[in-house]
Amino acid sequence: MTFRRIYVLWVLTGVFLLGLLFYPVLPKVNLQSYWLLVGMTALFYAILASSWSLLAGYTGQFSFAHMAFMGLGTYAAGIMIRDWGLTPWIATIAGVLVTGVVGWLIGYLCLRLRATYLALFTIAFAEIFRLVVKAEVKITGGPNGLEMPPYQRPEAFDRLMKAILPYWDANQYVPAYYTMALLFFLSLLFMFFLVRSRFGLFFRAVREDEEAAAALGVHVVNTRVLAFVVSSMIAGLAGIVFHHFIGLVVPDEMIIGRMSLIIAMAVIGGSQNLVGAALGAIFIHFALEWLQQIPMPLPVLERLLFLESWGFSVDLQAGLLRTNAWRMVGFGILLMLTLRFAQNGLISPILDWLARKEAVEEVAKRFQAQRDMGAVDAVQPVTSPANPTDDLEAEGEKA
Amino acid sequence: MEWMAPNLFPVAWMSVSSTYVIRLILEGLLIGVIYALMALGLTLIFSVLNIVSFAHGEFYMIGGYVVYVLLNKFKALPGPAALILAAVVTFTIGAVFERLFLQPMARGQVDRPSEYAILVTFGLSFVLQYIMLAIMGPFPKKAPRFFSFPKLDLGFLRTTRTTLFLGEIPLPGGRIFAAVIAVLALMAILYFMYRTWTGWALQAVSQDRNAAAVVGINPLNMNTLAFALGGMLAGLAGAVLVTVFSWVPWVGVPASAKSFVIIVLGGMGSIPGSLVGGLILGVVESLGTGFWPNPATAQAYRDVFGLIMFALVLLVKPTGLFGRKL
Repeated sequence: MTFRRIYVLWVLTGVFLLGLLFYPVLPKVNLQSYWLLVGMTALFYAILASSWSLLAGYTGQFSFAHMAFMGLGTYAAGIMIRDWGLTPWIATIAGVLVTGVVGWLIGYLCLRLRATYLALFTIAFAEIFRLVVKAEVKITGGPNGLEMPPYQRPEAFDRLMKAILPYWDANQYVPAYYTMALLFFLSLLFMFFLVRSRFGLFFRAVREDEEAAAALGVHVVNTRVLAFVVSSMIAGLAGIVFHHFIGLVVPDEMIIGRMSLIIAMAVIGGSQNLVGAALGAIFIHFALEWLQQIPMPLPVLERLLFLESWGFSVDLQAGLLRTNAWRMVGFGILLMLTLRFAQNGLISPILDWLARKEAVEEVAKRFQAQRDMGAVDAVQPVTSPANPTDDLEAEGEKA
Repeated sequence: MEWMAPNLFPVAWMSVSSTYVIRLILEGLLIGVIYALMALGLTLIFSVLNIVSFAHGEFYMIGGYVVYVLLNKFKALPGPAALILAAVVTFTIGAVFERLFLQPMARGQVDRPSEYAILVTFGLSFVLQYIMLAIMGPFPKKAPRFFSFPKLDLGFLRTTRTTLFLGEIPLPGGRIFAAVIAVLALMAILYFMYRTWTGWALQAVSQDRNAAAVVGINPLNMNTLAFALGGMLAGLAGAVLVTVFSWVPWVGVPASAKSFVIIVLGGMGSIPGSLVGGLILGVVESLGTGFWPNPATAQAYRDVFGLIMFALVLLVKPTGLFGRKL
C-alpha cells in the first residue's frame, strides 16, 4: 500500500477528535476546573472564529460585531429568563432568534453596498451596543453583568451519562465542557454542509464576481444576508450556551479587543477554511494561556528586570515572566504578517496540502482509466503537476 | 418591567429655555470641529488610497497618549510643542505602516486588495491598542490643562481661568482651546490641499491615478503622504482632546466610529462632506444628549444618535450628502 497524505489527514482528524473527547482526563488537565474552563473557552472561541470565517472567508464580508451578536443573544436570553420566566432551554432558542432578526436588519441595511459598509456599520454598532448595555443598569445589570441561570438537566440524563463517563459529575465543568464540545462539533458540521451545499457555491460566487453571479440568477443581497444571519446566529447560540455554564455575562466581553482576537484566530488559522479557523482559535487560546507566564531561569530573569517599566512583570520568586498585554501584541503582529505574507493562514494550507494530493491522484487515475478504454487517445496526459492550480494561473497570465 | 414603557417626555418641552438650546448647539459645534478634523483625515485616506482605515481611532488614541506622556515627563515643555510632537509621532507611524503593509497592495502584490485593506488596518488597530494597554495600563489618564484664559470682562463676554461665558452660557475652556487648535489645523490642511503643489498632487491622484502618474506624480509616494497625514490629523484631534476627556487604550474605538458616521454622512471621499458632517454630528449628539429623558444614561446614548444617523443615511441616501457615485 502506498503512502498517501490523505491518511495522515484522517489520522490527525482521529487524534483531534479523541483529544476533544478525552481532554478532561488528559494528565495535565486531570479534571481541574481551571483547565476545563480553558478548554471550553477555547471551544467557544473556535465556534466564534469558524462562524466568523463562514462570513469572511466565503462571502468576503467582514463583520466586526460578531462578539456583539454573541452578547446580544446572551443578554436577550438572560433578560427573557429573568423577566418573562422562560426556562433556559426555551430562552436559548428565543435568544438565537433575536440575534437572527437583528442580524437580518443590519445585513439588509448594509449588504446592498460594498463590503466596507458592513465593516463600518458593525464596528460602530458593536461599540455602541456595548456602551448602551453598560449604561442601562436597570435592564442589563450594567457593568456588573447579568446572571445566567444554569440549564436544568433531567436526573435520568445525568445517571445515563454517569454510566457512560465515570467522571461526569466529578466537576461542574465536565458537563459544560462536553456540551461545548458537542456544540462545536455540530456547528462545524452544519457549516461544513452549508458551504458544501449550493448555498456555499452561491457564497463564493458572489464573492468572486458579483455581476457574474447575479447574471446567473443568484440573488446577491439575499445570499450575503443569509451568510451574515447564519454566522451571527451561530455566534449568538455559542454565547448563550457558554454563558449559561459560566453563570454571568458582562458587557466588557464584547470589547473590540476580543473581536480582534477572534479575527486574529480566524485569519492565522485560515479564514478560507472553517476547520483551519477553528484550529487556529484552539491553538491561539492555548498559546495565550501558556504565554501568560513563561517559566525562565533566574539569571535570565534578572537581566530582564528592565522590562518591568515596559509593562511586563518579572516574578523572581516563582521564576516567571508575566507578559500581560504583550502576548496580545505578539498575536496582533502575527495577524498582520499572516495577512501580508500568507493570506490563506498558517494552518489551512497544511490541511489543504494533505487533502489535495489525493485529488490530483484521483484525476490522474481517472485519466488513466479513460485512456485505457481508448477514450482520449489524442490528448497527452498531464504528468502529475506539483500544484494543479499553477497551470491554470499560468494560462490566465498568458491570456 | 418598568423599562418597557419609559417616560418619554419628562422634559416639559415648552419650558425649555432658548439659552439651553443655544448652549447645546454651541457645545455641539465646538466638539463637531474636532470630529471634522478627524473625519477629514479619514476622507484624505479614502480619497487617495481608496480604503477606509480601521486604525483611525488608534491614531487618535496615540496622539493623546503622546501629549499625556510628554506633559507628565517634561513639566517645562510648552503645550504646543507637545501637540507638534504628537503630530510627528502619528505621522511617522502612519508613514511606516503604509510603506510596510499598504504599499504592497498598491503594487498589486496582494490578493483581494479590498478585503486585505480592511483586515490589515484592523490588525494595526489591534496591535496599537494592546501596545498602549501594555505600556500605559488600563486605568484612565488625564493630561493636565496647559492653557488658561486671561481674566476678561467685556460685559457680554466674560472669562474665568477655566470657563468662557457667552452671556449666560458657560463654555468649558478646554473644549474651546481644543476647537481653536482644530480650526487652525483644519485651515492649515485645507490651505495645503487647495493651495500647494503637493496638495494638488494629492487631489490629482485621488481623481485619476494613471493620469497623475503620466504628469509625473508618483502615486505611491502620494499614498504614503495621504495615509500619514490622515493619521496625523486623527493624532492631532486626540492630542487636543486628551486634556478634556480621560484616556484609556480603547478610547479610539468610539472616536473612529464617529468618523465613520461622518464620512458616510458627508459622502465617502468628500472634503466638504466631512467638514459639514462633523459639525452636524456634533450638534445632533449634543442636542440628543441634552434632551435625553434619563440624565444618568444620556452620555452612553451620545453615540447612539450617530449610529441612527448612519442607519438612516444607508437607508435613504447611501452616497451621503456630497458623495461621488458609488
